[in-house]
Amino acid sequence: MKAVFSPYLDAIAPGLKQLAALLGEKYDYVSVLSTDSVGFAVSISQRAKAVNHSTMTTERGSVVRVCRGGLYSEYAFNRFDPAHPERTAAEAERALEEQFALLRATDSAVYETPVLPDEPCVLREEMETGSMPEDCDLGALVERFTEISARGVAAGEHAIDCHVRGQSTHVCKLFLTAGRDMRQSYVYSEGMVAVIASKDGAVKFGFDSVSGREGPELFGKLDELAEKVAGIAEELLVAERIEPGEYEVIVSPEISGLIAHEAFGHGVEMDMFVKNRALGAQYIGKRVGSDLVTMHEGAKPEIEVASYAFDDEGTLAHDTVEIRNGILKTGVCDALSALRLGVEPTGNGKRENFEHKVYTRMTNTVFESGESTLEEMIATVKHGYLLRGMQSGMEDPKHWGIQCILDRGYEIRDGKLTGRIVSPIVMTGYVPELLGSISMLSRDHELFGSGFCGKGHKEWVKVSDGGPYMKAKARLG
Amino acid sequence: MEDFVLELLKDSGADGWMVTDELRRGWEFYFIRRALDQNRVREVEHLGLTVYKKFSEDGKDFLGSASAQLPPTASRAEAQELIGALVEEAKLIRNPVYSLNPPRGDAGAAGEEIDLPAVAGDFLRAMQSVEESAEADVNSYEIFTDSVTRRIVSSTGIDRTAVFPASMIEVVVNARREGHEIELYRMYRSGSCDAAGLKAEVESTLRIGRDKLRAVKTPALGKCDVVFSTADAIQIYDYFIDRMDAGMVFQGISDWKCGERVAPDEGGDAVTVRALRTLENSSYNCPFDGEGAPRRDLTIIEDGVAKSYYGRRMFAQYLGLEDSFDPGNFAVDGGSESAAALRTGRYLEIVEFSDFQVEASDGEIAGEIRLGYLHDGDTVTVVEGGSVSGTMREFAATMRLSKERRQYNNYLIPAVTRLRGVTVTGAED
Repeated sequence: MKAVFSPYLDAIAPGLKQLAALLGEKYDYVSVLSTDSVGFAVSISQRAKAVNHSTMTTERGSVVRVCRGGLYSEYAFNRFDPAHPERTAAEAERALEEQFALLRATDSAVYETPVLPDEPCVLREEMETGSMPEDCDLGALVERFTEISARGVAAGEHAIDCHVRGQSTHVCKLFLTAGRDMRQSYVYSEGMVAVIASKDGAVKFGFDSVSGREGPELFGKLDELAEKVAGIAEELLVAERIEPGEYEVIVSPEISGLIAHEAFGHGVEMDMFVKNRALGAQYIGKRVGSDLVTMHEGAKPEIEVASYAFDDEGTLAHDTVEIRNGILKTGVCDALSALRLGVEPTGNGKRENFEHKVYTRMTNTVFESGESTLEEMIATVKHGYLLRGMQSGMEDPKHWGIQCILDRGYEIRDGKLTGRIVSPIVMTGYVPELLGSISMLSRDHELFGSGFCGKGHKEWVKVSDGGPYMKAKARLG
Repeated sequence: MEDFVLELLKDSGADGWMVTDELRRGWEFYFIRRALDQNRVREVEHLGLTVYKKFSEDGKDFLGSASAQLPPTASRAEAQELIGALVEEAKLIRNPVYSLNPPRGDAGAAGEEIDLPAVAGDFLRAMQSVEESAEADVNSYEIFTDSVTRRIVSSTGIDRTAVFPASMIEVVVNARREGHEIELYRMYRSGSCDAAGLKAEVESTLRIGRDKLRAVKTPALGKCDVVFSTADAIQIYDYFIDRMDAGMVFQGISDWKCGERVAPDEGGDAVTVRALRTLENSSYNCPFDGEGAPRRDLTIIEDGVAKSYYGRRMFAQYLGLEDSFDPGNFAVDGGSESAAALRTGRYLEIVEFSDFQVEASDGEIAGEIRLGYLHDGDTVTVVEGGSVSGTMREFAATMRLSKERRQYNNYLIPAVTRLRGVTVTGAED
């Protein structure tokens, strides 16, 4: 079925066009982004239950972007009356003029930027989904999650609770300029099962998740996770500490995705090039990984939670090959940074929501797969770890350091898993060394989109990442 | 908020309801070097609704709830449809019965309107006053200043309004020498602008940046004492704070019990943690929590002994707490020795992590070292790379806290915290 575009946005679009026209009389460039995204989140555990119609990406509001004298300014609002666009135009002008007065009083200089191009584009994209969050039978979903939670607790010897959570969001966005009328509607969902296990005062979480640009039908995949996750929690209770050092490692597709995201995802967000904050700017055309490393980034090539038709600046989605056979080819770019750098935007201009500024952001960041099987890869390891489960990662584009906090490592000796488990694991290193050490890739191709990505320590947006199993050398502690 | 919202809630058949109406005016300025990249204004209203419904199944009584945001431009019909749906959905949520917050304490005055141009001007001028050099300067910064008006109305008679400021500034600095350039990242949150404090902080970061230029790879230190003297130490104290949260206790994630020690006494400084109703220039000085409960001073842990749980109404009620609340500000008492005394002998003082984390459930610490000072007698080596690991379950018994304290927005904590026997993985080959 099609995810039908928001009737609310269709209804206010004429008023928003008048608003853009009114502001166009005063400014060199005007765009309007309006959003109307609805959804739900259901959370069930043995001890607490909740239903909420707010997810991280539900929102309704608008933002106008204007440019005058080379300075871009924005006004975000959510009390728009389509019958009186002149009121919002006056409010925006008043608010921005107050800021301009302060900027003049403080002698603040302006980073002058050319006027954005406005090539005509009319688009209405209503993407396929299996079902809509608005139509979901929440009663049935609560019962299903309750049953999964009970199974999760029953499956673990030391389990004390099992949290099951699912959230589904119907995203609708409208982008308008004098030349453009772009409307898109799609649904994405994500779910997770977490078992809490306790033994001798230690508390551990087993965790797994599902995600996709799908409707609530996605949550059927949670059924099979209860026993698996209970087993992970039991493993963590008996896990030992790792002896710090450099090891041969095989990382799961989930961790491959984390490496893609932290290593060269953030490192080639080109708004960082404008600020001279990324070492990647100096390495275009140079080797940054082994011949096996090819990495894609874009909202177009994959169908996951971060796949869309156009970004928050009205740029169509792309498929950007950032690294091909170990050579850094290019980065990804929002529209304003592209103007400043003299390159083409890649459809990566994203906002946390209508209230936030656009930055260059990742969408789907993925390593290409190889030809090996996981078994063949394990057989080649003298002493190392098969690493699974991620807790967090942190970028360092200026210095190419990488930090990944991982859930568990399964020891490999002489090509065989020994049954010994270590946890938690801090994987650190220098990105070109880590990518340069990649020596085998599996045939697998998995994406994970249940998390959010921040820029620095804020600006949370949906992303997905993934790839195959990868064999490399890494420093673990 | 339109008047019909409250009318509809009263007539909805719900057994309880709560509305949070938040108006935010925000001014934002984004700079690249010294030039303005963008300026932004936000003028928005967020209306949060929660309805509660009592029901019984199989002889058990429940109080379910369901929540949603109502767009401020929603019509009466849209609001009626949403509230009706929430009442039905609340019947799906089988949480054991608890009572909602009653009105308590003096509602007091809402507070004065925030002068956004003045606050924003203070930030702009403070950053302009930062003294740079050819070797170290500011790469970019982003200023966010908000005036927040928050009103909470409930079916139990709560109707409170507060006006308060909330600000944030993100600063990136560079330092360079002989073609090598490094970066440091900082984020400061506060109520309004502490111009002198901000200038001093940024200039201190510029000095640290110059030190990073001469850093060598962290050696594999094995077990080493580690000193925390930046905002990363908040993570250490959040371990104690989070484990006293009624939600963590009720759900079995924390096993701490009031009246019992939270760590063995093995010669360290016992921790005392308090919730504070107000803390100067904190952005968390709203006098009531997200459910309308009045905030007050409360001793949570005293001399290493758990004293009082705190938290949201539902979990607090499940633990038998009648007048609990979700605090905004926290203070940790100073320890027995000075910061200088804690900075003696062999230790690693880490002033920059990629992302230092302490897991509240099991106390595991983890973080990649971006800059540290390795002290060994009179020798100081600037180091970078490698990581720290270990668990607060062991460190808490021997940790040392300085007498002096330092404030980071809504936390007032010892200026220096020393953990003994942290595993430090080096970056050397």
